[in-house]
Amino acid sequence: MSSVAEALALGFGAGPICVAYCGPVLLPWLGAEPRDLATTGRLLAIFLGGRLAGYLAFAVVVWAAGLAIPLDLRTRALVFGLANFGLAALLGFSAWFPRRHRAKAPDERPTRLYQIGAADRFRPPAALTLGFLTGLNLCPPFVAAGVRAAATHSLPGALAFFALFFAGTSVWFLPSLAVSPLRRFSALPVVARMTMAALSIYYAYLGVVSVASWRLASGQAGDLVISITGMVLHA
Amino acid sequence: MPDRARSIALAPPRGIGRSLLLTVPVALFTLLLFTPVLRQPGRPAKLAALIAWIFMMVLFFLMMRTRETYRWRRIFFITLGFLFPVGFIWDLIALRSSMSIPMERMISGDTPFCFMVLPMTLIPAALKKTIIFPGSILPTPSNPHSIAMMVALWLLATIILGKAWCSYGCFFGGLDEGFSSIAKKARLRKINPKWRLAPWAILVAIVLLSAATFEPTYCMWLCPFKAVTEFPQVRSTQTALQFGIFIALFLGLVVVLPFLTKRRTQCAFFCPFGAFQSIFSRTSIFDIRIDKEKCGAGCLLCQNNCPTLAIDQEAIRAGKTLSSCMRCGACVDVCRKNAAVWHIKGTPVGVKPERARLLYLYAAWTFASMFGGSIIASSLQKLIGLVF
Amino acid sequence: MKRLTATLGYAVAALTIAVAVVGPMFWFGVFSRAAAKTSLRIDPEYTGGEPARTIARDGYQIVVYKPVLKRAPLSPTASFVQIVWKPVSALPAAISEPIDLDGDGRPDCVVSFQASRDPHAELRVTVKPLTALVQPMNEVGKDSFSSLIARVNDTIVVRVPLR
Repeated sequence: MSSVAEALALGFGAGPICVAYCGPVLLPWLGAEPRDLATTGRLLAIFLGGRLAGYLAFAVVVWAAGLAIPLDLRTRALVFGLANFGLAALLGFSAWFPRRHRAKAPDERPTRLYQIGAADRFRPPAALTLGFLTGLNLCPPFVAAGVRAAATHSLPGALAFFALFFAGTSVWFLPSLAVSPLRRFSALPVVARMTMAALSIYYAYLGVVSVASWRLASGQAGDLVISITGMVLHA
Repeated sequence: MPDRARSIALAPPRGIGRSLLLTVPVALFTLLLFTPVLRQPGRPAKLAALIAWIFMMVLFFLMMRTRETYRWRRIFFITLGFLFPVGFIWDLIALRSSMSIPMERMISGDTPFCFMVLPMTLIPAALKKTIIFPGSILPTPSNPHSIAMMVALWLLATIILGKAWCSYGCFFGGLDEGFSSIAKKARLRKINPKWRLAPWAILVAIVLLSAATFEPTYCMWLCPFKAVTEFPQVRSTQTALQFGIFIALFLGLVVVLPFLTKRRTQCAFFCPFGAFQSIFSRTSIFDIRIDKEKCGAGCLLCQNNCPTLAIDQEAIRAGKTLSSCMRCGACVDVCRKNAAVWHIKGTPVGVKPERARLLYLYAAWTFASMFGGSIIASSLQKLIGLVF
Repeated sequence: MKRLTATLGYAVAALTIAVAVVGPMFWFGVFSRAAAKTSLRIDPEYTGGEPARTIARDGYQIVVYKPVLKRAPLSPTASFVQIVWKPVSALPAAISEPIDLDGDGRPDCVVSFQASRDPHAELRVTVKPLTALVQPMNEVGKDSFSSLIARVNDTIVVRVPLR
C-alpha cells in the first residue's frame, strides 16, 4: 500500500514537469480542431494512453535487455532524435493538412474517430501517435520512476508502479480541457495550426541535434540516476 | 502610406494661439518629468535634453494645429526607432568594443532586461519562482535596466496606453514604421488577413517552449532586433545559426517587407509582444470607433491605410477596430466622412471626438516624452558629444 | 445612465493623464521595493546557484556551489556545479585541484587551468572525473552555461557538468 501512495505522490510531484514537457505538443494540437468538452476529454485520455504506451514500451525493452538503469547516452540520443523527427513530421502534417469536415453520403461507412485529415485516406490516429512519440522522449521524471520501479524486481510490479506514477502525473493534464471552451474563438484553429507549424521546425531541430550527438557521443554508460532523481525530488 | 485624402483638411487648422494654449499643459507635464534629464552635467547632455523636449513639443503643437495625429506621431516614432540603436550600440562599443554579449556578462547578471521577455517568464516564475533571464532583479551600477524597472515601466505603459505602447513606446517599432514609409506606393498589396494571427501563434509557441526549456526562446532564436542591439557571442554552430536567423528576420520583416507592403509587417505579422499587449487592448479607456451611419457604403480607406490591418469589413460592421489596433491614428486622419473617430469608453460615439483625442494625446504624449524623449535625448547627447 | 457612464469615462481618462504625469515620479521606486520583497530570483542556470561551502587555501578561496539541476525537460543546459576561485590576484599561475562536489569527503574531479593575471587572456579548463558524477571537460572555454570557465570581476568561475 505504501508503494501505491509513494508512486502516486511521486507522480503528482512530477506532474508540472510532465505538463511543461508535453504542453508544446498537446495544447496546439487540441486547439487546432476544437471540440466539445467530452470529446476533448476522450482525446486527452487517448493522448495520455499513447504516452503511457511509449513509456511502458521503453521500460519493457530495457527490462527485457536486463538493464537496471536506462539506456546509455548514445542510444538514448538516437531514440530521442528519431522521436523528435516523428513529432516534427506529425505536427507539421497536422498543421498543413487539417481534418476536413464534410457531410457523409448515406451509404458511407462511419469515419474513424480521431483521425487527422479526410476519412477516405488512411491517417494515423493522431492522439495516440502524438502521445506515443512524446512518451518515447522519456520525460526525466519517468526515467527516475522507471529506475525506482525496476527496484521492485518483478515486471508486473514495475509496470504497476510505473502506471500509478503515470496516474499521479495525469492529474495535472486536466486543465488542458480548458481549450475546449475556447473554440468559440474562430481564430483558435488557425493560431493553433500556425503554432504547430512553428513547433514542428523546433522539434526537427531537436531531432537533428540529438542524432548529431548520437554520432559524436562516446557511448559511455549514462548514470542518470543522481541528477534526474534529484530533479524529481526538487521539482 | 499610400496616397490618401485628408479628411482633417475639411476642418480648418486650429489657430496658432489656441494650439499653443493646448500645448501648454503637455509642455508643463513633460518639463516636470524632463527636469532630471535637463539637470545632467555637461553641455552635450543639457543641449540634447533641450533639443529632445523642443522636438516633442513642436510635434504636439503641430498635432494640435493640423488636427492630425498619425503624421506627427510617426515622425517621433521613427526618430525613436532609429536613434535608440545608435545610443545602445554606442554604449556597447564604449563598454566592451563589441555588440555581442559575453558569457561573463550573462552569468554576472549584467544583461539589460527587455520587455519582449515578459510573456516567456510568467510560467517558469509561477512554477519555480525564478526569472529565466540573465539580468538582475533590482538596478545595479553595472545594470540600471533591471527586471523590476522594466516590468514597472511596462505596467505603467499598459495602464496609460494599453496596446498603444506599439505606437508610442516600443523603441523597435519605429524601425519597422520607418522602412514602411520610404516607398510612395506599395509593391505588394495583397496580404492574406490570416497572417494577422501569426503573432499569436509565435506567442503561444514561445511561451510553451520557454516553459519546457526554461530559456527565453524568442531571445534565443527569433528576435529580429538582436541585429541592432546585442546578441550572444558567436562561438559555436548553434550561436552562428541563431545570429543568421536574427539577421534574416531583421532584413526580411523589418526592412524588405515593410518597404514592399508599406505596412508594419514585423509588428503586425510576427511580434509576439504585440499579441501579448493585445490582451490589454480593452483595458485602456481610449479607443477608436467607427460610426456606421456616417461610414455608409464604405470606401475602405481606413482598411487600406491601416499599418497593421487592424480594420477590416467585419470591424467596420462592428463599429470598432480589432484588438490589434495600435491607436496610431492613421484611420481617423484618412477618413473622409469623420466616421472613424477617437473615443472615450462610456461616452457617445462621435460626440466631441476631438476632446477624446486631446485627452488621449495628453496621456500618450506625456508618456512618450518621458520615455521615448529621454531615449532620444540620450542618443543625441552622444552624437552632440562628437561635435563638442 | 448615459450621463453617468460618460462622466465615469471622462473621470478615468483624467486619471490616466494623472498617472502619466505623476506615475514616473514614484512608481519605479515603489515597484522596485515591492519586487525586492518577493521570493523571485534569477534562474540558477545564469547565477550558478547558491554557495554550499568554502575551501580555504593559501591566500585564496575556493567556493563550491550547490548543484544546479537540469531546469526543465527540454532544457539544453545540463546539470552542473559551479566552483569559484577568488581573488584572481592571489591565485598561483597554474591550478590543478581535486574538488569534492557533493560534500561526501571524497574528491569527485580534478580541475586544471592556467590562472593568467591578464584579464584579456583566454581561459581553458580541463576536468578529469574521479567519480561517475562528473562529465569530463577537455580544454573547454565557454561552451555553454553548464560547461565553462570565465573571469568575472576578480574571480574565476568554472562550471562542471554532471551526468
